[in-house]
Amino acid sequence: MKTNYDIKLGVSLYSYQDNYYFHRHDLEGCIAAAAGAGAEGIEVFSDAMIPEWPYVSDAWIDKWNGWMQRYDVEPVCLDHFSDRMMWHDKQLTDEEMFERGVMYIKLARRLGCKAIRVLHEEHIGPKAFVCKLTDYDIIARLLPIAAENDVMLALEVHTSDGVGAPYQQKYIELAEKTGIPYVGLQQDFSTFSYCLSTADIVTQVAESGANKEVLMAAREEQRKAYFGKYDFDEAATAALIEKLNPSDADRLALHSILPSLKMPAGFVERRPFHGASRKAADYEKLYKDLYDNASKLVYCHGKFYDIDENGQVDDMDYPTIFKTLIDGGYKGYIASEFEGNRRMNMAGWCDEIEYVRKHHKLMRSLLGRE
Amino acid sequence: MYDKHILSDAGARSVWENGKKYGYQFNLTINYYRGLPLCCVDQITMIIDGEQVPYEQMYVQHRGREYPYLDILKDDFPTDFYWLFGEYLTVVVKNGKGIEQGIHHCKLTLGTRRSYTPTMVSVCEKDVTFA
Repeated sequence: MKTNYDIKLGVSLYSYQDNYYFHRHDLEGCIAAAAGAGAEGIEVFSDAMIPEWPYVSDAWIDKWNGWMQRYDVEPVCLDHFSDRMMWHDKQLTDEEMFERGVMYIKLARRLGCKAIRVLHEEHIGPKAFVCKLTDYDIIARLLPIAAENDVMLALEVHTSDGVGAPYQQKYIELAEKTGIPYVGLQQDFSTFSYCLSTADIVTQVAESGANKEVLMAAREEQRKAYFGKYDFDEAATAALIEKLNPSDADRLALHSILPSLKMPAGFVERRPFHGASRKAADYEKLYKDLYDNASKLVYCHGKFYDIDENGQVDDMDYPTIFKTLIDGGYKGYIASEFEGNRRMNMAGWCDEIEYVRKHHKLMRSLLGRE
Repeated sequence: MYDKHILSDAGARSVWENGKKYGYQFNLTINYYRGLPLCCVDQITMIIDGEQVPYEQMYVQHRGREYPYLDILKDDFPTDFYWLFGEYLTVVVKNGKGIEQGIHHCKLTLGTRRSYTPTMVSVCEKDVTFA
């Protein structure tokens, strides 16, 4: 349903991926589910749900436009990927990566999307960790093409240091320097995750036989630190967990938040949970950066993995995130991006439609619309 | 994510010509949260009842076209044939004799290259009934 609000709500159809993968709902079904949850904006992955990708016919675009009308929703964002590692022993050149960027921009325009989510080099940190993605120089080349097509390059920020980090801010400066306002930052709320998600706990319990109580005990310490506004004491929490006689599976499951916990033999180091070493002052800075940048943000991903019995997102402080965005003057879409499916689906069917419905209810209430 | 589901029960059967079996086929779905071009397939290894299916007997069928498996691994394979999310990719094994009808123990290893995460290798081991 279309509205005139400054902050509009959408759904990334990624949220319904299991329904799509297991053929419970086709693309139209996913659009209907989003509209039914109350969304007015649709975000789509071309390489997941557009059957004719990468050569999409006008006839298919007509069908897409028909769905937008039927369900009274609008296209908002097309997801760009930086698939450089196309072959075993050879990768795409920068020129070819640029051409693929153009391909996504042009399809976005044809679909009526005002933005593409760009998988930029720094989306998970100062440096991508496998191959070079779409970097600053390629984005600078794409910028005039984006302007010509009236499609915003929305650079998604998942990182623990958020949108204020200088290596993200350089893209805002690029738009200012060139006078072409077609590149900007997109905040993914996972930046603000303050504890282990219950979605991950469900998976660990189902897959590795970890003990829910032990994992929940560690998570509770993280939550107390966040809401008590004090620094999480990793060493004290590791000591507390030791007293619970953790199994090897528990130790492995907790490594990402308790790196000092003794690991079983043969353990291979993994990426830590990005909030593991964050202190109370770091959260203050993250929210301040969000406030300072809110009016400049071009898109938001309402990321979530699980919703608790109170209807709240279980590991992110949505009330504070929303208040900060509103006070900071954010205007644009917040799209539900449910990612609990790929965490929980090894444990059984994950009801994405119900999760997105609850998420939209929560977002509407935080915006004073319920 | 989808490791348990990458080898489908649907469509597993012998393939025939003129009343004789000349091979067999099975269907895969992708081990990722979106589609990828076929050139991003890094490995399809199938072990049936303990014996590995020879790569040179494997052919990949996708949207009415057929490619020798070893061709899709080459560094000049096109980048625009997309194996979409949830879509079946049919592997036909041309072994000249088909497969005995009934239940076979299968172990499939599927490796795919993605843009920003390490190559994901998924293993699915299950019993499949071949028609």
